[in-house]
Amino acid sequence: MNTLRLVVGLLMTVVMLGLAGRRLLYLYRVGGAGQPVEPGRLGAVGTAIRAELVEVVAQRKLLRWTAPGLAHAAVFWGFCVLLLTVLEAFGSLFDPTFSLPVIGQFPVLGFVEDLFALLCILAVVAFVVIRVREAPRDQGRRSRFFGSHLGPAWFVLFMIFNVVWTLLLTRGAQINAQEVNTTDNLPFLRGAFLSQAIASLLAPLGQDVNEVIETVALLVGLGVLLGFTVFVTYSKHLHILLSLPNVALARRPSALGALLPVSSGGREVDFEDPGEEDLLGVGNVEEFTWKGLLDFGTCTECGRCQSQCPAWNTGKPLSPKLLIMGLRDHALAKAPYLLAAEQERDGLSDDARAVASVPLVGDTGYAGDPLAAYAPLGPGGVIDPDVLWSCTTCGACVEQCPVDIEHVDHIVDMRRYQVLMEGAFPDEAGAMLNNLEHAADPWGRGASQRLAWAEPLDFEVRVLGADGGDRIPDDVEWLFWVGCAGALDDQAQRTTRAVATLLHEAGVEFMVLGEAESCTGDPARRMGNEFLFQMLARQNVQTLDDAGATKIVVTCAHCFNTIANEYPQVGGSYEVVHHSMLLGRLLAEKRLVPVSRVDRDVTYHDPCYLGRHNRIFAPPRELLGAVPGLRLAEMPRAKERAFCCGAGGARMFMDETLGTRINENRAAEAIATGAQTIAAACPFCITMLSDGVSTLRPDDAPVEVTDIAEVLLRAVRPDLDDVSPPPQAARP
Amino acid sequence: MSEVLVLVETSGSTVRIPSLELLTLARRLGEPSAVLFGSPEDSVVAALAEHGATTLYAVPAPEMEEFLSLPKAEAVTDLARRLSPTAVFITSSPEGKDIAARVAVALDSGIITDAVDVTSEDGDVVATQSIVAGRFVATTRVVRSPAVLTFRPNSVEPSPAPSSATLETVDLSVSEVARGARVVATTPKESTGRPDLTDAAVVVAGGRGVGSAEGFAKVESLADALGAAVGASRTATDVGWAPHESQIGQTGKTIAPALYVAAGISGAIQHRAGMQSSKTIVAVNKDPKAPIFGIADFGVVGDLHTVLPALTEEIVRRRT
Amino acid sequence: MKVVVLAKYVPEPTATWAFEADHTLARESVEGRLSELDEYAVEQAVRLKEAGAADEVVVLTVGPAKAVDALRKALAMGADRAVHVSDEAIAGSDALGTSRVLAAAADKEGFDLVLTGMASTDAEMSVMPSMVAARLGLPQATFAGALSVEGGTATISRDLDTATTEVTVTLPAVISLTDQTDEARYPAFKAIMMAKKKPVETRSLADLGIAAGDVGLEAAGTSVLSIAPAPQRQAGTIITDEGDAATQLADFLAARGFLR
Ligand SMILES: Cc1cc2nc3c(=O)[nH]c(=O)nc-3n(C[C@H](O)[C@H](O)[C@H](O)COP(=O)(O)OP(=O)(O)OC[C@H]3O[C@@H](n4cnc5c(N)ncnc54)[C@H](O)[C@@H]3O)c2cc1C
Ligand SMILES: Cc1cc2nc3c(=O)[nH]c(=O)nc-3n(C[C@H](O)[C@H](O)[C@H](O)COP(=O)(O)OP(=O)(O)OC[C@H]3O[C@@H](n4cnc5c(N)ncnc54)[C@H](O)[C@@H]3O)c2cc1C
Ligand code: SF4
Ligand code: SF4
Repeated sequence: MNTLRLVVGLLMTVVMLGLAGRRLLYLYRVGGAGQPVEPGRLGAVGTAIRAELVEVVAQRKLLRWTAPGLAHAAVFWGFCVLLLTVLEAFGSLFDPTFSLPVIGQFPVLGFVEDLFALLCILAVVAFVVIRVREAPRDQGRRSRFFGSHLGPAWFVLFMIFNVVWTLLLTRGAQINAQEVNTTDNLPFLRGAFLSQAIASLLAPLGQDVNEVIETVALLVGLGVLLGFTVFVTYSKHLHILLSLPNVALARRPSALGALLPVSSGGREVDFEDPGEEDLLGVGNVEEFTWKGLLDFGTCTECGRCQSQCPAWNTGKPLSPKLLIMGLRDHALAKAPYLLAAEQERDGLSDDARAVASVPLVGDTGYAGDPLAAYAPLGPGGVIDPDVLWSCTTCGACVEQCPVDIEHVDHIVDMRRYQVLMEGAFPDEAGAMLNNLEHAADPWGRGASQRLAWAEPLDFEVRVLGADGGDRIPDDVEWLFWVGCAGALDDQAQRTTRAVATLLHEAGVEFMVLGEAESCTGDPARRMGNEFLFQMLARQNVQTLDDAGATKIVVTCAHCFNTIANEYPQVGGSYEVVHHSMLLGRLLAEKRLVPVSRVDRDVTYHDPCYLGRHNRIFAPPRELLGAVPGLRLAEMPRAKERAFCCGAGGARMFMDETLGTRINENRAAEAIATGAQTIAAACPFCITMLSDGVSTLRPDDAPVEVTDIAEVLLRAVRPDLDDVSPPPQAARP
Repeated sequence: MSEVLVLVETSGSTVRIPSLELLTLARRLGEPSAVLFGSPEDSVVAALAEHGATTLYAVPAPEMEEFLSLPKAEAVTDLARRLSPTAVFITSSPEGKDIAARVAVALDSGIITDAVDVTSEDGDVVATQSIVAGRFVATTRVVRSPAVLTFRPNSVEPSPAPSSATLETVDLSVSEVARGARVVATTPKESTGRPDLTDAAVVVAGGRGVGSAEGFAKVESLADALGAAVGASRTATDVGWAPHESQIGQTGKTIAPALYVAAGISGAIQHRAGMQSSKTIVAVNKDPKAPIFGIADFGVVGDLHTVLPALTEEIVRRRT
Repeated sequence: MKVVVLAKYVPEPTATWAFEADHTLARESVEGRLSELDEYAVEQAVRLKEAGAADEVVVLTVGPAKAVDALRKALAMGADRAVHVSDEAIAGSDALGTSRVLAAAADKEGFDLVLTGMASTDAEMSVMPSMVAARLGLPQATFAGALSVEGGTATISRDLDTATTEVTVTLPAVISLTDQTDEARYPAFKAIMMAKKKPVETRSLADLGIAAGDVGLEAAGTSVLSIAPAPQRQAGTIITDEGDAATQLADFLAARGFLR
């Protein structure tokens, strides 16, 4: 019998591992069809190892969702530990009394193995409960599993269950076989508590039967495990294998903040003189880098991203999960074509050739059914333009993804192709791009309007070049980057005046660029118009460098992100702070002193580009905390999980006609805290939220939306209740 | 005394006001002669004489209306060749510009468009223009006469200077080239309906301050009294008080009417993006700090629920 | 069918404009662009080509050296070739002179249809289409809100105050287009790069057979005496309603001529 079991076991192993290996090799080749990764992606071994420890071993992101996180951690650590039992099982194919060297017979090992087997079973039960409770059949779009492959997921749970029970049965039978034989089939005399319990149940069957049970259960167990391995290579559970390299090769600290420059063939594209063959953005699935393809293969379909996505949550067809799945399915469908040599392609089946010619972004005719907005096999397009253009680049998906998939980068890469190569994007955004190009601001107001905000102030704001000098004088500490909204939007002008007044009050010497300032290029870049971004960014860096700027304070979260994180890409490196940080310092240094109570209930909205993208969560809250009398109530979705206002990704300049409005969703959440004041720290959020508030409360708006600086100003200079007389703006 | 040819337009039995303005201006340079297409009614002749026209050239060619402005340009050119006037005055309008352009080329005359004022200096015609969207004022001398000038409506208050006008009928044959652009269909616009928002000369718009769908009727009544189109801020369309097509602004329509009346609209930048090139802006808002006042030519700080109905009543009263 | 589009290089409307000592617009010191209203003409021409109605679209400009930027934009939008008439002697031309050059250049190029904008965004005269047509002995149809071409005839619609008319025009002819026609496209970067390779021919007055003395400041039929900034727009009158606001407002409207 022992020979039989050896032969069957080994045969099974060779066949199954062969199948799995073949599949993996195939997938490896598919990945190889992608572009080389951009410069700087590889090589940071230290960070990669750290990432593996934090993200994979310590399951950092998963554990942020307590119940499913613990269950997943149990299975993950369980399978790590149970790998030892797999070794033991293989050993016992050769020698029934096999034990691992050195530690092999420590009772504690037996205990730990049994403990994790038990935890795995409990986790499976927990997963079943979660999946039943969040079943898309009942919950529809609200379920994070909506659109995931449910069958395979259930099958995997079943297989995990099978692996564990066959293991326990084998071990129980081993104990019994040992007792009768006085040989040592299970290496542990004590410790393996579950195995012992099962053994006592099986004992009455006698030695022979137990020996048979041991062999059968061992072979079945190995079979299940090997079958599982093969299955994994064909399913979403590929993440078990791929998450390791994917996490190791992910952008660190995260794929938030800066966008990557456009690169082609692993080199950055020079927009002043692009190469003939340069790929600008992604128009075909093989134009993603191989790391991008690895991302698609790694997605676990867990739907954490989908559950947080503002577009998805307001009834739009975009779900980051469905997007990644769609791209993965399309890549696999296109693989035969991609892997075939040029001359063989004509010989491929019609289907294979048809898939190869499906545009990545194109009309799917989805007619309201979000699942139909993703058509990996075409014919109209793999994803609908509505999917692509619904993204606010808020980064909630990237923040959540447990396997570090870089959704925003992929979305922007596809937008880049649409804008740069096809000239295809929502019409309304065209006006904004034209305005940026011709007037250097998104509204087309022009440079001459950029100082209008300062007119009502009762002190002089220093403007670069006004006194004839073209460099920032030594006595000026901060360059105040006003931003387009800050200079041109009435509500944001109030913020600008509040910050200027506070800096003046604190005796901080600052200067503005005035007419020399241009849009940072953020909306152009996030729409995919890298060309325009590069033009604006280079011009601004030139202006800043010519002026000798070193320390910059901004009030706009988008300006902050662009200047701090993206201008280094075009050669401009400065110390950039958000006004919440600088005002916080001034408060700490007692250069600003709140003298008056502001007796109000306040809630604070985290701007995506300040919070998630730049981890500035505390300073605005500390600033509000310094205002006497203020009562701060958090919204349910705050900090890392804050819900977007809907303005990012150039969505500010597009019509929002699909589903419900993101800003109204967020405004409703803010109003529900009972706040009288909704404070934010970004002009675009403020526009969006005040718009949302006025639509929700059309008759009267007792809720005001304002910048944190204005709130602080009320405490510091209560006499100045009015920083906002109507500007007598010149009309063109 | 030198002659000034003035192209006049009529609507039925009345002379259109801009034409009376042209006559008023023409008297500064010499004797105005009116040129008019069709056969004038007596009341028209009387009105022209009342405003100083000494001769009236009527060009009755009935097939004229079948073609675009070319036959008219040919008629004016012929007359100008025959009479050698000091100047030809035409109202600035699509048709007026077409005619002026062709006449100027045919006579190799200096041309000035969109003039708002005119004088005579040392025998030359000197016109004042508001240029670059009103940012500059230019004065220009015409050195090759007859001066071909088009004037903006509202450049001067028409004033009478009675004279007696002789009527002369002028024959016209429409040239082959002029027959090249033929009007094949004319669809009159519904006179009952309001004008289309995008090309209305007057627009009355309501915002959140209007308060309700019923309140919006006040905006509509004022619009009807002014013969205006109705517009709205996004907030007003979002809550369903006005249809989405009437939204003005960044994500709505961009308009540039001669008169824009904003009622209960704060004037957010997104809204202003759609209406800031309006020539005259009137705002009614109860908040004296509303940004709309920053760009208003006339602002009323007050409750639109009282101001709008009172204004509507006043306009109706003055018009009857 | 060959379409020639007249496209003007104008100062950026949001820029601060200045005038030279001879009262001509300072075109070198101010950022310039393809007149926004001419983009509509380019758009219609390119659409005619895309629809198969036109075989070739040529953009033509008369302007300073930098005017080539306007041509590049039109080429990026889809025009095939460009002609740039540039000659020191043209500087300061009035409408008569400019139309003479445009007509000669269009004539030399050859065409079945000339498309123009409804007005330039600098001088805003709206006379060039009729002037060019007059000089070429062709009919014109101006202020077209929509355009289609079939056989040797173009059909346009014109939106007037009281009626909408449909007009047929026998080609060759000159047609000017309003901003009611289809929105101009925003060219893709690829198209901008491709436009750099499209041919731009430069022509002088001599090439067109025009004597230098027939155009330019000296030959103009008008002579600018002065250009001054407009008096600052009066800050608006803001009144607080004390019962008589409606009357005051009506007076204001009457004074501005809105109650006639
Ligand atoms: C992406 C985006 C795009 C947008 N696009 C547009 C757009 O295209 N068009 C647009 O209009 N908006 C647009 N908005 C919305 C814009 O930001 C403003 O929220 C909106 O214009 C405000 O409309 P409102 O002036 O009617 O309302 P409010 O700003 O709330 O103003 C109401 C005004 O009415 C006054 N008022 C109240 N009661 C009375 C009374 N009884 N009598 C007189 N006055 C009264 C108040 O004093 C107040 O000034 C957009 C916003 C976003 C975020
Ligand atoms: C502020 C200002 C005021 C002026 N006033 C007068 C005046 O009163 N009288 C006068 O005789 N001259 C005047 N000029 C000179 C005038 O600008 C030029 O003669 C001009 O070329 C023709 O007028 P326009 O730009 O108004 O063209 P429009 O008639 O408004 O242009 C209509 C279309 O013609 C085409 N077009 C016009 N110019 C060109 C060009 N250069 N190249 C290619 N296509 C073109 C475009 O398609 C344009 O959309 C003025 C110039 C300025 C800057
Ligand atoms: S960035 Fe935000 S809007 Fe875009 S897919 Fe991710 S979660 Fe959705
Ligand atoms: S992309 Fe990440 S978060 Fe979204 S479903 Fe896939 S694994 Fe989960």
